Amino acid sequence: MLKTVRNVAAIPQLTRQYTAKAKRSVLLQDTKKIKDYEPKLSKKAGHRVYVWGFQETGALGLQTDVKKAKERYTEMVHHPTRLQFSDNTDISDVATGYGFTAYAVQRSDGETLFGCGLNTDSQLGFQVKGNPKDPANLDVIIYPTAIRLPRENGETDDDMQVLSMSAGRAHLVVVTRNGTVFTLGNNSYGQCGRSIIDEERYSGSALVHRISQADICGEDDEIVSVECGQDHTMFLTKLGRVYTCGWGADGQTGQGNYHTAGKITRIAGDIEKERIVHLACASDCVLALNEGGDVFGWGNSEYGQLDDSENAQTQINTPRALTLTKGIGKIKSVAAGGSFCMALNTEGLVYTWGYGILGFGPFVEQTSKPQHLLPPLFGRNDFSNATTVVSIGCGVFHMGAVNSDGDLFMWGKNRFGHLGLGHKKDQFFPFKTAINGKAIKVSYGVDHTVALCRPYI
Amino acid sequence: MEITLAVIKPHVLRNTYAFQQVKQLIKQNFNVLQAKEVRITKELSEQFYAEHQGKFFYHRLTSFMNSGPCYALILQSEACIQKWRSLMGPTKVFRAVYSEPQCIRALYGLSDTRNACHGSDSEASALREIAILFPEFQVKSTAKTQVKQ
Repeated sequence: MLKTVRNVAAIPQLTRQYTAKAKRSVLLQDTKKIKDYEPKLSKKAGHRVYVWGFQETGALGLQTDVKKAKERYTEMVHHPTRLQFSDNTDISDVATGYGFTAYAVQRSDGETLFGCGLNTDSQLGFQVKGNPKDPANLDVIIYPTAIRLPRENGETDDDMQVLSMSAGRAHLVVVTRNGTVFTLGNNSYGQCGRSIIDEERYSGSALVHRISQADICGEDDEIVSVECGQDHTMFLTKLGRVYTCGWGADGQTGQGNYHTAGKITRIAGDIEKERIVHLACASDCVLALNEGGDVFGWGNSEYGQLDDSENAQTQINTPRALTLTKGIGKIKSVAAGGSFCMALNTEGLVYTWGYGILGFGPFVEQTSKPQHLLPPLFGRNDFSNATTVVSIGCGVFHMGAVNSDGDLFMWGKNRFGHLGLGHKKDQFFPFKTAINGKAIKVSYGVDHTVALCRPYI
Repeated sequence: MEITLAVIKPHVLRNTYAFQQVKQLIKQNFNVLQAKEVRITKELSEQFYAEHQGKFFYHRLTSFMNSGPCYALILQSEACIQKWRSLMGPTKVFRAVYSEPQCIRALYGLSDTRNACHGSDSEASALREIAILFPEFQVKSTAKTQVKQ
């Protein structure tokens, strides 16, 4: 009864007419009552990390309590979610493997490497729970935990800072600032750069293999980056040489054979005299880029990613200059997924080819002819006509690109929500993810994605 | 009732969550007669994958199977060969993720070789493969006990 009376009374108020004087007094505000709002600024240098995708492996590092996690739906995270760990730790680099994530950090306590996720092959080091007298190995680590890199005498915290790192299916390779390579995890194909031991037990293993860069590339060269496929590892040096080890059954080690190799070896073929500046591989197909912007490739080509000629080999075991990327300009960056490849040229055009959702519309397609996606898909419009794509990347099943505004666009198979678009459906053309920050590095895992971002202000 | 052999491949065993899910799915759909962890060594896979010898992926397949322990199960149910194969989905993972996104291979496969699981394709090959991985298993005697029950 009372409610209806109120409603009746409210309607005439809305249509009430004010005199000119009354209008002025209504519009006149008491400025003293307006509080000065000072937005909380984030730390200028501080990076923030957003994670999304499959959560049950612990790779997202968002959970703090296993019991609480069981009470609600946690299987996947569809929206990019800010990692709490990144708020109190300065993260400088990220790497994603199959169900695990590694973080390079700068901390006052001297730790330089953290990780979370699957640890069934000790790819995150030897982790013990609680009481050190009772080391119960943890198969799944739900929150980032320090990974101890064994130091030799005299090595400082600064020496142990991570220069480059990459993760495969079940192994992690880290290159530190003083040029030491650390490999952790599964070595059943020699991907850790040591000889294969039959029936080795990787679970609960405390072994972190240490290799000096001089043992890989000699005294007068140095390792600048490392790139892991699912089960192999590639090192790139300052002089542009490539060294590999691991599974070669598809030719992905590029060593001229299909063997497994525990010994790190320099590879030749068409890249022998080239200065390689960039390597890309998410699965078993490898792309390499020289300083002149030419593309080379080796490994799996079952979906016509590397060669589309008649009677083309599907497993290329020696690096070869690609003919199918000729004519798309000078290439700035490349990325290789499970069944497709991507290239970014100096004009900022993104080219895709291979098999899968290539970004051209609502169908799954196969083509060996690189085609470019239109710039408006990546945020170019009349108001920001200089916006262009600056970096590309891909996982085994999905692709992504970051533009000059720091926006991340994703498309492809939406495996366990790892596109971060807020739904489970596949995305057939590039679509912007809602990240609260400018993406500076994105690491694409098999079923999760991690973005390292800078705050807007 | 029909029996078949299921093998869960090494990379799924390393992903504890995926392994649990696959095992649960098997439990819901089949009667598990025997199950054990096996190492499919070069010698075993020479017998096991004899029909693939000479194909371009043979070396890739055998070296992958030898990369870690597998989990082998003998499954039993009505028309279980076909049932298990449809649960697994198409062999090629990159195609399966689009054609049958809910099958085991689309969910937990990583590439066309790392395709999560194996299943016998016929009654004859089921018996042949079970004899290789479970040499102690007596097909006839179980059939008899089943009848008694």
